[in-house]
Amino acid sequence: MGFVVTTLVFAAIGILASLCARICCNKGPSANLFHLTLVITATVCCWLMWAIVYLAQMNPLIVPILSEGE
Amino acid sequence: MEWFRNLPEMDLMRSEKMTSVQLIIPVESAHRAVSYLGELGLLQFRDLNDDKSPFQRTFVNQVKRCAEMSRKLRFLKDQIHKAGLLASDLPALKPDVDLEALEVQLVEHEHELTEMNANSEKLQQTYNELLEFKMVLQKAGGFLVSGKSYETAEGTELDENVYPSDYPDSVSLLEQATQSGPSNTSGLRFISGIIAKSKVLLFERMLFRATRGNLLFNQAPADDLIMDHISSEMVEKTIFVVFFSGEQAKTKILKICEAFGANCYPVPEDLTKQAQITQEVMLRLSELETTLDVGIRHRNVALHSIGVHLTTWINMVKRENAVFDTLNMLNFDVTKKCLVGEGWCPIFAKPQIQEALQRATFDSSSQVGIIFHTMDPVESPPTYFRTNTFTNAYQEIVDAYGVAKYQEANPAVYTVITFPFLFAVMFGDWGHGICLLLGALVLIARERKLSSQKLGSFMEMLFGGRYALLLMSLFSIYCGLIYNEFFSVPYHIFGKSAYKCRDASCGDAYTVGLIKYRDAYPFGVDPSWRGSRSELPFLNSLKMKMSILFGVAQMNLGIMLSYFNSIFFNNSLDIRYQFVPQMIFLNSLFGYLSLLIIIKWCTGSQADLYHVMIYMFLSPFDDLGENELFWGQRPLQILLLLSALVAVPWMLFPKPFILRKLHAERFQGRTYGVLRSSEIDLDSEPGSARHHEEEFNFSEVFVHQMIHSIEFVLGSVSNTASYLRLWALSLAHSELSTVFYEKVLLLAWGYENILIRIVGLVVFAFATAFILLMMETLSAFLHALRLHWVEFQNKFYGGDGYKFKPFSFAALADDED
Repeated sequence: MGFVVTTLVFAAIGILASLCARICCNKGPSANLFHLTLVITATVCCWLMWAIVYLAQMNPLIVPILSEGE
Repeated sequence: MEWFRNLPEMDLMRSEKMTSVQLIIPVESAHRAVSYLGELGLLQFRDLNDDKSPFQRTFVNQVKRCAEMSRKLRFLKDQIHKAGLLASDLPALKPDVDLEALEVQLVEHEHELTEMNANSEKLQQTYNELLEFKMVLQKAGGFLVSGKSYETAEGTELDENVYPSDYPDSVSLLEQATQSGPSNTSGLRFISGIIAKSKVLLFERMLFRATRGNLLFNQAPADDLIMDHISSEMVEKTIFVVFFSGEQAKTKILKICEAFGANCYPVPEDLTKQAQITQEVMLRLSELETTLDVGIRHRNVALHSIGVHLTTWINMVKRENAVFDTLNMLNFDVTKKCLVGEGWCPIFAKPQIQEALQRATFDSSSQVGIIFHTMDPVESPPTYFRTNTFTNAYQEIVDAYGVAKYQEANPAVYTVITFPFLFAVMFGDWGHGICLLLGALVLIARERKLSSQKLGSFMEMLFGGRYALLLMSLFSIYCGLIYNEFFSVPYHIFGKSAYKCRDASCGDAYTVGLIKYRDAYPFGVDPSWRGSRSELPFLNSLKMKMSILFGVAQMNLGIMLSYFNSIFFNNSLDIRYQFVPQMIFLNSLFGYLSLLIIIKWCTGSQADLYHVMIYMFLSPFDDLGENELFWGQRPLQILLLLSALVAVPWMLFPKPFILRKLHAERFQGRTYGVLRSSEIDLDSEPGSARHHEEEFNFSEVFVHQMIHSIEFVLGSVSNTASYLRLWALSLAHSELSTVFYEKVLLLAWGYENILIRIVGLVVFAFATAFILLMMETLSAFLHALRLHWVEFQNKFYGGDGYKFKPFSFAALADDED
């Protein structure tokens, strides 16, 4: 459940960021498309990174074994 | 698909549309037209006189004159610099001084300055000589006086080199000098002069040898330093007086003086005459001083007045030089009344160019207008991307590998984000990211000041990439939060850890470990992992799989861009016989691997993925047993293996055969036409670069396709493995960071002594700054760059175009540095 919720959060942040980019720097259709591409690429990269790390920890095969120093 | 085609065009994605143009300019407006075009900076001239040497070109005299003028300007600049005046930093004003007038002025100034310099040289020399004469008079006078008063057996303050009793001759000379009255009655003469202090001993010894000891050598150091005009430094000099007798000795001594560079000055013995001459010399000295001062001031005034205009003049001459170089690229037409030029310009710039040319016609009051029209291009157009300060750095990164072919997809569009992102994957530590962010913000805040300064080459690169650095630091902070490393220390920012001890005593924690009692840590790596014994196996597995996933994703993006290229150039052959088999091959092998990784993570299965992948190839029909991750895995694997096997000949064979068929169809009708017009045509130059090659070399095309396919097939394995550097570098960064933290900072902090703590802190700071922040940044930068240049771009990028270099005055200023 946590996975889907956070994915939706990422999507919402992405949409918010593209709206902000459109509002702040509205410089013609070509530049708008470029900004949109940048925002979508960044959102997808960040989401991918988070998702990979989250999925890897969902069902781990090993657990932390504390070392003597602690 | 319709919606997709109706999207607006992205400027940065493909080069601006360029067109080949031709200009026909009447001679009287040529110079002005080219200057206005230079100010506009949007037209690239083609050199029509490529085969001519620089001396055969039309405007070679003007170019020579410009070179001469810039030489004079450099000389003036040197003189100003030597005189210690600061060149005025006023920005170059619009030059309204005529070039011819400037030339005359420069000749005048140079002449004046050289004359002034020569005069002051001479004066300075005279001044030095007089100064030496004055000193000789002062000190030598003292010798002569003391020689006379020796009878009174008074000691003298001056150093007298009286040779010891081994040389009885000299002693007798001295006795003679003291016994007799005025020295000239005994035939004793003297020479007085001045010599550099370093040579005095040798000089003395030489004289002694030459006169066989028959001399008396007195010396005294000079009070002031004197300027040696050969080396233009201040040296110490010594005044000497040599008493000798005989004509031969005199010539010898004079010759030796000359050889040693000692200047001899006649000192009269008579006291009153000495006083008189000394007074005269002092008078002349003060006169010369005033003259010299006046001369220097006069020169400085002249230099100052030049210096005010110097930058403007230098810029003007540079511009004129550039204009004439460009004019040299144009051709005279048959009537010798017009210049014909060819070039490239972006289509959007045509109205502006048209307007500039009209202004030139009007300003030069020419009767005939300038003709400006498009031409059919002979060769491929140059590539032009309109970048702003933000995208410029990334475009330069892409261009450093190869400039895009005209109108092919520009990887810079995605590089803007993926490059800092991959950097961050290798650099992930939000403490270091914050340091980088501060650096980037400092550079951006002082943008205006730094851009007008001249920076060293390293600072120049750093300043140019400030926006890239900004994005790199932001993504590093993000990745650092995900890896949960703040200078290698994890924090519980996003809630409690998902792991706890099995029971209250935590006895098992060191043998069997903690257990997972909650859902996974919501954002990033669980903080319990840091410092545990099983940290590395877990993180290694995580990061390696992450690298594979990113690699497959970026390579798929690359292949998709090649699809967009094929659509743009209407190359359906490429789509069907290159894009499709490439997608199938890559995804049935490495896309499937990615899928397995994700399924294994989601189900928590214990399947061994190495085993699965290897035995998919070795024995695909065997039962999977405990390595089965999902139902239907075996038939799916067989299917994917078959598709991959089919894809290889699919991308290898059909394309060359179809190309040959297409070529034959296209030129079937043509060959008859060619025969009719001329029979010679067929034999001449079969491989020449014409629009459409008459020859189709099938073996060449086939080999080319084979190389391309093999490169892709083998490359898919090696490129995927290459992405593992993301894992390797992030591991190295994390380990270095841990070592510095634990073995330097914590170790030093363990002691109670404040001095050790401070030393530890300082060592930690330096190690972090130099090794982690500088070296690791460069390293991660380099590897992220390599991943883009090779693994991403070889899926779609041609990179064999050339850059649009318009004739522009603004670019001249950058060129000079």
